[in-house]
Amino acid sequence: MHLKVVENDTDERFLVEAAQRDPSCFAELYEQNFNRVYAFVVRRVATREEAQDLTAEVFHQALAGIGKFEWRGAPFVAWLLGIAAHVLAAHWQCNPKRQEILAEDLELAGNDGSIERRAMIFQLVESLPDDQRQVIIRRFVDQRSIKEIAQEFSRSEGAIKQLQLRALRNLRTRLRSHHEQL
Amino acid sequence: MNSFSIADELDQAVNNVLAGVGAAGLNTDLEIGELVGIASELRDLPEPTFRAQLKAQMSGHSVSKSATLVASQNEDRLCGAGACPGRVAFDFGTLASREKSRLHTASLQSQPEILPSLFRSTSEGYPLHQRNMAASLFMHVTALALVVVGGVWASHDQPVKKIFTTHTIALAEYPLPPSESVSHGGGGGGTRDKLKASAGAPPRFAAEQLTPPMVVVQNLHPSLPTESTVIGPPDVVFPKTQAGDLYSTLLVPSNGAGYGGGIGDNHGTGVGIGTGPGVGPGSGGGIGGGPYSLGTGVSAPRPIYDPEPEYSNQARVAKFQGDVVLWVVVGADGIPRDVRVQRSLGMGLDEKAIAAVRNWRFEPAMKDGHAVAVQVSIEVKFRLF
Repeated sequence: MHLKVVENDTDERFLVEAAQRDPSCFAELYEQNFNRVYAFVVRRVATREEAQDLTAEVFHQALAGIGKFEWRGAPFVAWLLGIAAHVLAAHWQCNPKRQEILAEDLELAGNDGSIERRAMIFQLVESLPDDQRQVIIRRFVDQRSIKEIAQEFSRSEGAIKQLQLRALRNLRTRLRSHHEQL
Repeated sequence: MNSFSIADELDQAVNNVLAGVGAAGLNTDLEIGELVGIASELRDLPEPTFRAQLKAQMSGHSVSKSATLVASQNEDRLCGAGACPGRVAFDFGTLASREKSRLHTASLQSQPEILPSLFRSTSEGYPLHQRNMAASLFMHVTALALVVVGGVWASHDQPVKKIFTTHTIALAEYPLPPSESVSHGGGGGGTRDKLKASAGAPPRFAAEQLTPPMVVVQNLHPSLPTESTVIGPPDVVFPKTQAGDLYSTLLVPSNGAGYGGGIGDNHGTGVGIGTGPGVGPGSGGGIGGGPYSLGTGVSAPRPIYDPEPEYSNQARVAKFQGDVVLWVVVGADGIPRDVRVQRSLGMGLDEKAIAAVRNWRFEPAMKDGHAVAVQVSIEVKFRLF
Protein backbone atom coordinates (compact mmCIF):
# COMPACT_ATOMS: atom_id res chain seq x y z
CA MET A 1 0.00 0.00 0.00
CA HIS A 2 1.40 3.35 -0.96
CA LEU A 3 0.43 6.19 1.31
CA LYS A 4 1.00 9.64 -0.02
CA VAL A 5 2.58 11.03 3.07
CA VAL A 6 5.70 13.05 3.46
CA GLU A 7 8.45 10.75 4.61
CA ASN A 8 10.53 13.29 6.45
CA ASP A 9 11.20 16.95 6.83
CA THR A 10 13.93 16.91 4.25
CA ASP A 11 11.63 15.71 1.51
CA GLU A 12 8.97 18.20 2.49
CA ARG A 13 11.46 21.04 2.61
CA PHE A 14 12.70 20.06 -0.80
CA LEU A 15 9.16 20.13 -2.15
CA VAL A 16 8.47 23.52 -0.59
CA GLU A 17 11.66 25.02 -2.01
CA ALA A 18 10.84 23.56 -5.40
CA ALA A 19 7.37 25.10 -5.24
CA GLN A 20 8.87 28.45 -4.28
CA ARG A 21 11.17 28.32 -7.28
CA ASP A 22 8.56 26.93 -9.62
CA PRO A 23 4.89 27.22 -8.53
CA SER A 24 4.00 24.38 -10.88
CA CYS A 25 5.50 22.08 -8.24
CA PHE A 26 2.85 23.15 -5.74
CA ALA A 27 0.50 20.41 -6.98
CA GLU A 28 2.61 17.84 -5.20
CA LEU A 29 2.31 19.69 -1.91
CA TYR A 30 -1.41 19.96 -2.50
CA GLU A 31 -1.66 16.23 -3.11
CA GLN A 32 0.18 15.41 0.08
CA ASN A 33 -1.65 17.81 2.36
CA PHE A 34 -5.17 17.95 0.97
CA ASN A 35 -6.62 15.30 3.26
CA ARG A 36 -5.22 16.92 6.41
CA VAL A 37 -6.47 20.37 5.50
CA TYR A 38 -9.84 19.05 4.44
CA ALA A 39 -10.13 16.95 7.60
CA PHE A 40 -9.29 20.03 9.66
CA VAL A 41 -11.86 22.16 7.90
CA VAL A 42 -14.66 19.64 7.62
CA ARG A 43 -14.56 19.05 11.38
CA ARG A 44 -15.37 22.73 11.93
CA VAL A 45 -18.13 23.36 9.42
CA ALA A 46 -21.58 21.97 9.02
CA THR A 47 -21.67 20.65 5.51
CA ARG A 48 -19.37 18.97 3.02
CA GLU A 49 -19.95 21.72 0.46
CA GLU A 50 -18.89 24.34 2.95
CA ALA A 51 -15.77 22.35 3.81
CA GLN A 52 -14.87 21.94 0.16
CA ASP A 53 -15.25 25.65 -0.59
CA LEU A 54 -13.14 26.65 2.38
CA THR A 55 -10.50 24.02 1.58
CA ALA A 56 -10.25 25.37 -1.94
CA GLU A 57 -9.80 28.88 -0.55
CA VAL A 58 -7.05 27.65 1.78
CA PHE A 59 -5.05 26.16 -1.05
CA HIS A 60 -5.51 29.17 -3.29
CA GLN A 61 -4.18 31.43 -0.58
CA ALA A 62 -1.34 29.03 0.14
CA LEU A 63 -0.32 29.01 -3.51
CA ALA A 64 -0.43 32.79 -3.64
CA GLY A 65 1.74 33.08 -0.56
CA ILE A 66 4.13 30.16 -1.05
CA GLY A 67 6.93 32.58 -1.83
CA LYS A 68 6.63 34.14 1.63
CA PHE A 69 6.81 30.82 3.44
CA GLU A 70 9.87 30.50 5.65
CA TRP A 71 11.02 27.16 6.92
CA ARG A 72 11.20 27.29 10.69
CA GLY A 73 11.19 23.62 11.53
CA ALA A 74 7.45 23.18 11.74
CA PRO A 75 5.85 20.92 9.13
CA PHE A 76 4.37 22.56 6.11
CA VAL A 77 0.90 21.35 7.01
CA ALA A 78 1.00 23.51 10.12
CA TRP A 79 1.35 26.56 7.89
CA LEU A 80 -1.57 25.32 5.80
CA LEU A 81 -3.68 24.75 8.88
CA GLY A 82 -2.85 28.25 10.06
CA ILE A 83 -4.21 29.57 6.78
CA ALA A 84 -7.24 27.31 7.22
CA ALA A 85 -7.84 28.75 10.69
CA HIS A 86 -7.82 32.29 9.30
CA VAL A 87 -10.08 31.27 6.45
CA LEU A 88 -12.46 29.70 8.95
CA ALA A 89 -12.34 32.83 11.08
CA ALA A 90 -13.22 34.97 8.09
CA HIS A 91 -15.95 32.52 7.22
CA TRP A 92 -17.42 32.62 10.70
CA GLN A 93 -17.38 36.38 10.77
CA CYS A 94 -19.73 36.26 7.83
CA ASN A 95 -21.71 33.46 9.46
CA PRO A 96 -22.86 34.53 12.94
CA LYS A 97 -24.07 31.07 13.80
CA ARG A 98 -20.64 30.18 15.13
CA GLN A 99 -18.37 32.76 16.71
CA GLU A 100 -15.81 30.63 18.44
CA ILE A 101 -12.30 31.63 19.17
CA LEU A 102 -9.82 29.92 16.93
CA ALA A 103 -6.91 29.94 19.34
CA GLU A 104 -7.63 26.42 20.47
CA ASP A 105 -7.98 25.28 16.89
CA LEU A 106 -4.62 26.78 16.06
CA GLU A 107 -3.01 25.04 18.99
CA LEU A 108 -4.59 21.77 18.02
CA ALA A 109 -3.68 22.20 14.39
CA GLY A 110 -0.47 20.27 14.59
CA ASN A 111 -1.35 17.80 17.32
CA ASP A 112 -4.96 16.85 16.76
CA GLY A 113 -4.95 13.08 16.37
CA SER A 114 -8.49 13.01 15.08
CA ILE A 115 -7.44 15.09 12.10
CA GLU A 116 -4.66 12.69 11.31
CA ARG A 117 -6.97 9.70 11.68
CA ARG A 118 -9.62 11.24 9.47
CA ALA A 119 -7.09 12.33 6.87
CA MET A 120 -5.62 8.85 6.88
CA ILE A 121 -9.04 7.28 6.38
CA PHE A 122 -9.74 9.64 3.49
CA GLN A 123 -6.43 8.70 1.96
CA LEU A 124 -6.90 4.98 2.50
CA VAL A 125 -10.18 5.07 0.61
CA GLU A 126 -8.23 5.87 -2.52
CA SER A 127 -6.23 2.70 -2.09
CA LEU A 128 -9.23 0.41 -1.86
CA PRO A 129 -10.12 -1.97 -4.70
CA ASP A 130 -12.20 -0.21 -7.29
CA ASP A 131 -15.54 -1.93 -6.53
CA GLN A 132 -15.20 -1.34 -2.80
CA ARG A 133 -14.16 2.28 -3.34
CA GLN A 134 -17.13 2.88 -5.63
CA VAL A 135 -19.51 1.50 -3.01
CA ILE A 136 -17.98 3.69 -0.29
CA ILE A 137 -18.25 6.80 -2.46
CA ARG A 138 -21.82 6.05 -3.47
CA ARG A 139 -22.79 5.23 0.08
CA PHE A 140 -21.08 8.01 2.04
CA VAL A 141 -20.47 10.80 -0.44
CA ASP A 142 -23.57 10.48 -2.56
CA GLN A 143 -25.46 9.03 0.42
CA ARG A 144 -27.34 6.54 -1.71
CA SER A 145 -29.12 3.56 -0.30
CA ILE A 146 -28.01 -0.01 -0.75
CA LYS A 147 -30.89 -0.58 -3.12
CA GLU A 148 -29.91 2.33 -5.37
CA ILE A 149 -26.34 1.21 -5.51
CA ALA A 150 -27.38 -2.35 -6.30
CA GLN A 151 -29.47 -1.12 -9.17
CA GLU A 152 -26.66 1.04 -10.49
CA PHE A 153 -24.18 -1.80 -10.44
CA SER A 154 -26.77 -4.44 -11.41
CA ARG A 155 -25.98 -6.52 -8.40
CA SER A 156 -27.95 -7.78 -5.46
CA GLU A 157 -28.36 -5.75 -2.31
CA GLY A 158 -26.65 -8.50 -0.35
CA ALA A 159 -23.62 -8.27 -2.60
CA ILE A 160 -23.45 -4.50 -2.12
CA LYS A 161 -23.71 -4.94 1.65
CA GLN A 162 -20.90 -7.47 1.51
CA LEU A 163 -18.80 -5.01 -0.53
CA GLN A 164 -19.52 -2.31 2.04
CA LEU A 165 -18.50 -4.66 4.85
CA ARG A 166 -15.31 -5.70 3.09
CA ALA A 167 -14.45 -2.08 2.33
CA LEU A 168 -14.82 -0.99 5.94
CA ARG A 169 -12.88 -4.02 7.17
CA ASN A 170 -10.18 -3.21 4.65
CA LEU A 171 -9.99 0.35 5.91
CA ARG A 172 -9.77 -0.86 9.52
CA THR A 173 -6.99 -3.29 8.67
CA ARG A 174 -4.98 -0.71 6.77
CA LEU A 175 -5.52 1.88 9.45
CA ARG A 176 -4.20 -0.53 12.07
CA SER A 177 -1.27 -1.36 9.87
CA HIS A 178 -0.48 2.31 9.46
CA HIS A 179 -0.68 2.90 13.20
CA GLU A 180 1.61 -0.05 13.84
CA GLN A 181 4.13 1.41 11.41
CA LEU A 182 4.07 4.66 13.32
CA MET B 1 -22.89 -14.40 13.59
CA ASN B 2 -22.26 -15.02 9.90
CA SER B 3 -21.04 -12.41 7.46
CA PHE B 4 -24.46 -11.78 6.00
CA SER B 5 -25.92 -10.90 9.37
CA ILE B 6 -22.85 -8.72 10.10
CA ALA B 7 -23.32 -6.95 6.79
CA ASP B 8 -26.96 -6.31 7.53
CA GLU B 9 -26.23 -5.03 10.98
CA LEU B 10 -23.41 -2.85 9.72
CA ASP B 11 -25.63 -1.43 7.01
CA GLN B 12 -28.24 -0.56 9.60
CA ALA B 13 -25.61 1.21 11.67
CA VAL B 14 -24.32 3.04 8.59
CA ASN B 15 -27.86 4.20 7.84
CA ASN B 16 -28.04 5.62 11.32
CA VAL B 17 -24.69 7.34 10.94
CA LEU B 18 -25.73 8.88 7.65
CA ALA B 19 -28.97 9.99 9.20
CA GLY B 20 -27.06 11.64 12.02
CA VAL B 21 -28.43 9.28 14.63
CA GLY B 22 -25.20 7.44 15.24
CA ALA B 23 -24.89 3.87 16.39
CA ALA B 24 -26.66 4.48 19.65
CA GLY B 25 -29.44 2.12 20.41
CA LEU B 26 -27.97 -0.71 18.37
CA ASN B 27 -26.74 -3.80 20.11
CA THR B 28 -23.45 -3.94 18.21
CA ASP B 29 -20.42 -5.99 18.95
CA LEU B 30 -16.88 -4.66 19.05
CA GLU B 31 -16.16 -5.17 15.34
CA ILE B 32 -19.31 -3.42 14.25
CA GLY B 33 -18.50 -0.61 16.60
CA GLU B 34 -15.06 -0.18 15.05
CA LEU B 35 -16.44 -0.24 11.53
CA VAL B 36 -19.17 2.25 12.41
CA GLY B 37 -16.50 4.55 13.82
CA ILE B 38 -14.77 4.47 10.47
CA ALA B 39 -18.09 4.95 8.73
CA SER B 40 -18.80 8.04 10.76
CA GLU B 41 -15.51 9.49 9.54
CA LEU B 42 -16.40 8.58 5.97
CA ARG B 43 -19.54 10.65 6.23
CA ASP B 44 -17.36 13.70 5.57
CA LEU B 45 -15.42 12.09 2.74
CA PRO B 46 -14.75 14.74 0.06
CA GLU B 47 -16.19 14.35 -3.36
CA PRO B 48 -13.64 12.82 -5.74
CA THR B 49 -14.63 15.27 -8.45
CA PHE B 50 -14.01 18.21 -6.14
CA ARG B 51 -10.57 16.99 -5.25
CA ALA B 52 -9.67 16.42 -8.89
CA GLN B 53 -11.02 19.82 -9.93
CA LEU B 54 -9.14 21.59 -7.17
CA LYS B 55 -5.96 19.80 -8.14
CA ALA B 56 -6.46 20.90 -11.72
CA GLN B 57 -6.96 24.44 -10.48
CA MET B 58 -3.76 24.20 -8.46
CA SER B 59 -1.84 23.04 -11.47
CA GLY B 60 -3.44 25.70 -13.65
CA HIS B 61 -2.81 28.39 -11.06
CA SER B 62 0.74 27.23 -10.66
CA VAL B 63 1.47 27.60 -14.35
CA SER B 64 -0.40 30.86 -14.43
CA LYS B 65 1.63 32.13 -11.53
CA SER B 66 4.83 31.14 -13.29
CA ALA B 67 3.72 33.10 -16.32
CA THR B 68 2.84 36.06 -14.17
CA LEU B 69 6.24 35.98 -12.56
CA VAL B 70 8.02 35.92 -15.92
CA ALA B 71 5.78 38.65 -17.26
CA SER B 72 6.29 40.77 -14.19
CA GLN B 73 10.06 40.37 -14.52
CA ASN B 74 9.81 41.55 -18.10
CA GLU B 75 7.77 44.50 -16.92
CA ASP B 76 10.45 45.24 -14.37
CA ARG B 77 12.99 45.53 -17.14
CA LEU B 78 10.75 47.80 -19.18
CA CYS B 79 9.34 49.95 -16.40
CA GLY B 80 12.33 50.03 -14.12
CA ALA B 81 12.32 49.45 -10.42
CA GLY B 82 9.26 50.93 -8.74
CA ALA B 83 7.83 52.30 -11.93
CA CYS B 84 4.87 49.91 -11.91
CA PRO B 85 3.68 49.83 -8.33
CA GLY B 86 0.19 48.76 -9.19
CA ARG B 87 1.17 45.43 -10.65
CA VAL B 88 -0.37 42.42 -8.93
CA ALA B 89 1.86 39.42 -8.51
CA PHE B 90 -0.93 36.86 -8.67
CA ASP B 91 -4.41 37.24 -10.00
CA PHE B 92 -7.32 35.09 -8.89
CA GLY B 93 -9.26 35.81 -12.01
CA THR B 94 -11.96 33.85 -13.68
CA LEU B 95 -11.39 30.37 -14.92
CA ALA B 96 -11.33 31.65 -18.47
CA SER B 97 -8.62 34.15 -17.67
CA ARG B 98 -6.70 31.48 -15.81
CA GLU B 99 -6.89 29.17 -18.78
CA LYS B 100 -5.78 31.97 -21.07
CA SER B 101 -2.88 32.69 -18.77
CA ARG B 102 -2.04 29.01 -18.63
CA LEU B 103 -1.91 28.80 -22.42
CA HIS B 104 0.22 31.94 -22.53
CA THR B 105 2.57 30.40 -20.03
CA ALA B 106 2.81 27.23 -22.03
CA SER B 107 3.81 29.25 -25.06
CA LEU B 108 6.41 31.09 -22.99
CA GLN B 109 7.81 27.87 -21.62
CA SER B 110 8.02 26.34 -25.07
CA GLN B 111 10.43 29.07 -26.15
CA PRO B 112 14.08 28.02 -25.71
CA GLU B 113 15.89 30.00 -23.08
CA ILE B 114 19.32 31.34 -23.95
CA LEU B 115 21.50 32.15 -20.97
CA PRO B 116 18.54 32.44 -18.59
CA SER B 117 20.80 33.52 -15.74
CA LEU B 118 22.06 36.44 -17.80
CA PHE B 119 18.71 37.63 -19.03
CA ARG B 120 16.65 37.01 -15.92
CA SER B 121 16.89 38.77 -12.63
CA THR B 122 16.36 35.58 -10.68
CA SER B 123 16.99 31.97 -11.40
CA GLU B 124 16.57 28.78 -9.42
CA GLY B 125 15.35 30.69 -6.39
CA TYR B 126 18.44 32.79 -5.66
CA PRO B 127 19.16 36.31 -6.85
CA LEU B 128 21.50 36.85 -9.74
CA HIS B 129 22.88 40.11 -11.04
CA GLN B 130 23.16 40.59 -14.76
CA ARG B 131 26.30 42.70 -14.39
CA ASN B 132 28.06 39.93 -12.49
CA MET B 133 26.97 37.34 -15.00
CA ALA B 134 28.18 39.50 -17.88
CA ALA B 135 31.54 40.06 -16.16
CA SER B 136 31.90 36.35 -15.50
CA LEU B 137 31.07 35.54 -19.11
CA PHE B 138 33.59 38.13 -20.34
CA MET B 139 36.35 36.75 -18.12
CA HIS B 140 35.72 33.20 -19.20
CA VAL B 141 35.74 34.13 -22.88
CA THR B 142 38.94 36.14 -22.41
CA ALA B 143 40.66 33.29 -20.60
CA LEU B 144 39.64 30.87 -23.31
CA ALA B 145 40.95 33.22 -26.02
CA LEU B 146 44.28 33.58 -24.21
CA VAL B 147 44.65 29.84 -23.95
CA VAL B 148 43.92 29.37 -27.66
CA VAL B 149 46.19 32.24 -28.81
CA GLY B 150 48.98 31.10 -26.51
CA GLY B 151 48.79 27.59 -27.85
CA VAL B 152 48.94 28.77 -31.45
CA TRP B 153 51.82 31.14 -30.69
CA ALA B 154 53.80 28.46 -28.89
CA SER B 155 53.32 26.00 -31.71
CA HIS B 156 54.66 28.49 -34.31
CA ASP B 157 57.61 29.93 -32.36
CA GLN B 158 59.55 27.02 -31.04
CA PRO B 159 62.82 27.98 -29.37
CA VAL B 160 65.91 27.63 -31.50
CA LYS B 161 67.72 26.07 -28.60
CA LYS B 162 66.96 22.65 -29.91
CA ILE B 163 69.04 23.28 -33.04
CA PHE B 164 72.47 21.77 -32.82
CA THR B 165 75.07 22.24 -35.48
CA THR B 166 78.62 21.04 -35.76
CA HIS B 167 81.38 21.65 -38.23
CA THR B 168 84.25 19.58 -39.36
CA ILE B 169 87.37 20.42 -41.25
CA ALA B 170 87.72 17.40 -43.44
CA LEU B 171 91.25 16.73 -44.51
CA ALA B 172 90.84 13.78 -46.77
CA GLU B 173 87.21 13.00 -46.83
CA TYR B 174 86.38 15.74 -49.26
CA PRO B 175 89.42 16.18 -51.50
CA LEU B 176 89.37 19.12 -53.80
CA PRO B 177 88.35 18.05 -57.25
CA PRO B 178 90.85 18.36 -60.04
CA SER B 179 90.25 21.50 -62.04
CA GLU B 180 90.11 21.45 -65.78
CA SER B 181 91.05 25.10 -66.11
CA VAL B 182 93.27 25.69 -63.16
CA SER B 183 96.35 23.75 -62.25
CA HIS B 184 98.91 24.23 -59.63
CA GLY B 185 101.81 24.06 -61.95
CA GLY B 186 103.90 26.88 -63.29
CA GLY B 187 106.74 27.44 -65.53
CA GLY B 188 109.96 29.24 -66.09
CA GLY B 189 112.95 29.26 -68.24
CA GLY B 190 115.40 31.75 -69.52
CA THR B 191 118.36 32.06 -71.76
CA ARG B 192 120.97 32.55 -69.07
CA ASP B 193 120.86 36.33 -69.42
CA LYS B 194 122.65 38.58 -67.01
CA LEU B 195 119.45 40.14 -65.92
CA LYS B 196 116.32 38.59 -64.45
CA ALA B 197 113.28 38.31 -66.57
CA SER B 198 111.73 41.64 -67.48
CA ALA B 199 108.19 42.69 -66.80
CA GLY B 200 105.48 41.82 -69.27
CA ALA B 201 102.68 39.41 -69.86
CA PRO B 202 102.90 35.80 -70.86
CA PRO B 203 101.78 34.82 -74.34
CA ARG B 204 98.58 33.04 -75.09
CA PHE B 205 97.78 29.81 -73.28
CA ALA B 206 97.52 26.75 -75.41
CA ALA B 207 97.13 23.05 -74.92
CA GLU B 208 100.58 22.45 -76.43
CA GLN B 209 103.65 24.50 -76.92
CA LEU B 210 105.64 24.69 -80.12
CA THR B 211 107.67 27.76 -79.40
CA PRO B 212 108.54 29.04 -75.94
CA PRO B 213 107.99 32.74 -75.24
CA MET B 214 110.90 35.09 -75.35
CA VAL B 215 111.44 38.76 -74.64
CA VAL B 216 114.70 38.92 -76.50
CA VAL B 217 114.37 36.81 -79.62
CA GLN B 218 117.46 34.72 -80.21
CA ASN B 219 116.65 33.49 -83.73
CA LEU B 220 115.42 36.32 -85.81
CA HIS B 221 114.94 34.20 -88.97
CA PRO B 222 113.48 30.88 -88.00
CA SER B 223 112.89 28.36 -90.71
CA LEU B 224 109.33 27.71 -89.53
CA PRO B 225 107.93 30.71 -87.65
CA THR B 226 105.20 29.81 -85.13
CA GLU B 227 103.39 31.65 -82.36
CA SER B 228 104.92 31.33 -78.96
CA THR B 229 102.55 29.95 -76.28
CA VAL B 230 102.58 28.59 -72.77
CA ILE B 231 100.79 25.51 -71.49
CA GLY B 232 97.65 26.42 -69.64
CA PRO B 233 93.91 26.97 -69.83
CA PRO B 234 93.13 28.55 -73.20
CA ASP B 235 90.26 30.65 -71.77
CA VAL B 236 92.63 32.62 -69.54
CA VAL B 237 93.66 35.73 -71.42
CA PHE B 238 96.56 37.93 -70.42
CA PRO B 239 96.89 41.58 -71.36
CA LYS B 240 98.42 42.04 -74.77
CA THR B 241 101.57 43.83 -73.87
CA GLN B 242 105.20 43.07 -74.24
CA ALA B 243 106.10 39.55 -73.35
CA GLY B 244 107.58 39.11 -69.95
CA ASP B 245 107.12 37.94 -66.37
CA LEU B 246 104.00 39.14 -64.59
CA TYR B 247 105.81 39.36 -61.29
CA SER B 248 108.87 41.21 -62.57
CA THR B 249 109.44 44.92 -62.28
CA LEU B 250 112.42 45.18 -64.64
CA LEU B 251 111.84 47.20 -67.72
CA VAL B 252 115.02 46.20 -69.54
CA PRO B 253 114.13 43.41 -71.89
CA SER B 254 115.59 40.14 -70.70
CA ASN B 255 114.68 36.49 -70.95
CA GLY B 256 116.04 35.92 -67.44
CA ALA B 257 118.86 34.05 -65.87
CA GLY B 258 117.33 30.66 -66.27
CA TYR B 259 117.61 28.20 -69.05
CA GLY B 260 115.42 26.14 -71.32
CA GLY B 261 114.20 28.82 -73.65
CA GLY B 262 111.35 30.51 -71.79
CA ILE B 263 111.20 33.64 -69.68
CA GLY B 264 112.33 33.40 -66.10
CA ASP B 265 115.02 32.56 -63.70
CA ASN B 266 114.56 28.81 -63.45
CA HIS B 267 114.39 26.25 -66.16
CA GLY B 268 111.77 25.23 -68.61
CA THR B 269 109.87 26.75 -71.48
CA GLY B 270 107.33 28.76 -69.55
CA VAL B 271 107.23 32.16 -67.86
CA GLY B 272 108.11 32.80 -64.24
CA ILE B 273 110.06 31.20 -61.50
CA GLY B 274 108.76 27.72 -62.00
CA THR B 275 110.14 24.78 -63.91
CA GLY B 276 107.72 23.99 -66.66
CA PRO B 277 105.92 25.29 -69.71
CA GLY B 278 103.35 27.23 -67.66
CA VAL B 279 103.29 30.54 -65.88
CA GLY B 280 104.39 31.38 -62.38
CA PRO B 281 105.69 29.20 -59.61
CA GLY B 282 105.39 25.48 -59.70
CA SER B 283 105.97 23.10 -62.53
CA GLY B 284 104.19 21.22 -65.21
CA GLY B 285 102.31 23.94 -67.01
CA GLY B 286 99.36 26.06 -66.17
CA ILE B 287 99.32 28.90 -63.69
CA GLY B 288 101.29 28.45 -60.54
CA GLY B 289 100.85 30.04 -57.12
CA GLY B 290 97.68 30.27 -54.96
CA PRO B 291 96.93 28.58 -51.71
CA TYR B 292 98.49 25.39 -50.55
CA SER B 293 96.72 22.12 -50.25
CA LEU B 294 96.87 20.17 -46.99
CA GLY B 295 99.55 17.60 -46.54
CA THR B 296 103.07 17.46 -47.79
CA GLY B 297 104.41 19.65 -45.05
CA VAL B 298 101.41 21.98 -44.79
CA SER B 299 99.49 21.81 -41.49
CA ALA B 300 95.73 22.25 -41.26
CA PRO B 301 94.29 25.55 -40.05
CA ARG B 302 92.59 25.33 -36.63
CA PRO B 303 89.37 27.27 -35.96
CA ILE B 304 89.60 29.56 -32.95
CA TYR B 305 86.24 31.33 -33.37
CA ASP B 306 83.47 29.34 -34.94
CA PRO B 307 79.93 30.50 -34.06
CA GLU B 308 77.21 28.06 -35.01
CA PRO B 309 75.16 28.89 -38.05
CA GLU B 310 71.49 29.73 -37.76
CA TYR B 311 68.74 27.44 -38.95
CA SER B 312 66.62 28.75 -41.80
CA ASN B 313 62.88 29.14 -41.15
CA GLN B 314 62.02 27.04 -44.16
CA ALA B 315 64.18 24.13 -43.00
CA ARG B 316 62.86 24.47 -39.43
CA VAL B 317 59.25 24.29 -40.54
CA ALA B 318 60.04 21.33 -42.77
CA LYS B 319 62.13 19.73 -40.01
CA PHE B 320 64.89 19.37 -42.60
CA GLN B 321 68.40 18.47 -41.57
CA GLY B 322 71.66 17.42 -43.26
CA ASP B 323 75.21 18.49 -44.04
CA VAL B 324 76.62 21.32 -46.16
CA VAL B 325 80.21 21.05 -47.43
CA LEU B 326 82.01 24.29 -48.20
CA TRP B 327 85.26 24.92 -50.04
CA VAL B 328 87.18 27.62 -48.25
CA VAL B 329 90.56 29.26 -48.60
CA VAL B 330 91.98 30.15 -45.22
CA GLY B 331 94.47 32.91 -45.66
CA ALA B 332 97.77 33.37 -43.87
CA ASP B 333 95.94 35.82 -41.60
CA GLY B 334 93.42 33.17 -40.56
CA ILE B 335 90.49 34.81 -42.33
CA PRO B 336 88.42 32.59 -44.62
CA ARG B 337 88.02 33.77 -48.19
CA ASP B 338 86.54 32.55 -51.40
CA VAL B 339 83.89 30.44 -49.68
CA ARG B 340 82.08 28.18 -52.12
CA VAL B 341 79.50 25.46 -51.75
CA GLN B 342 80.87 22.06 -52.52
CA ARG B 343 77.84 20.02 -51.41
CA SER B 344 74.57 21.84 -51.30
CA LEU B 345 71.69 21.10 -48.88
CA GLY B 346 69.11 23.67 -49.94
CA MET B 347 66.25 25.27 -48.01
CA GLY B 348 68.44 28.25 -47.21
CA LEU B 349 70.91 26.21 -45.19
CA ASP B 350 73.72 26.78 -47.72
CA GLU B 351 73.47 30.54 -47.29
CA LYS B 352 73.33 30.18 -43.51
CA ALA B 353 76.45 27.98 -43.57
CA ILE B 354 78.36 30.44 -45.80
CA ALA B 355 77.36 33.40 -43.61
CA ALA B 356 78.56 31.61 -40.51
CA VAL B 357 81.86 30.39 -41.94
CA ARG B 358 82.69 33.86 -43.26
CA ASN B 359 82.77 35.00 -39.63
CA TRP B 360 85.02 32.23 -38.48
CA ARG B 361 88.61 32.87 -37.59
CA PHE B 362 91.45 30.37 -37.86
CA GLU B 363 94.89 29.78 -36.65
CA PRO B 364 96.52 29.72 -40.10
CA ALA B 365 98.11 26.72 -41.73
CA MET B 366 101.86 26.49 -41.40
CA LYS B 367 104.54 25.43 -43.89
CA ASP B 368 108.15 25.48 -42.98
CA GLY B 369 107.36 27.61 -39.95
CA HIS B 370 105.51 30.22 -41.95
CA ALA B 371 101.79 30.91 -42.14
CA VAL B 372 100.49 30.12 -45.57
CA ALA B 373 97.13 30.21 -47.25
CA VAL B 374 95.51 26.83 -47.59
CA GLN B 375 92.36 25.51 -49.16
CA VAL B 376 90.20 23.28 -47.01
CA SER B 377 86.76 21.71 -47.04
CA ILE B 378 84.48 22.44 -44.10
CA GLU B 379 81.49 20.30 -43.31
CA VAL B 380 78.63 22.10 -41.51
CA LYS B 381 76.02 19.82 -39.95
CA PHE B 382 72.45 20.94 -39.37
CA ARG B 383 70.55 18.80 -36.87
CA LEU B 384 67.15 19.17 -35.17
CA PHE B 385 66.81 17.51 -31.78
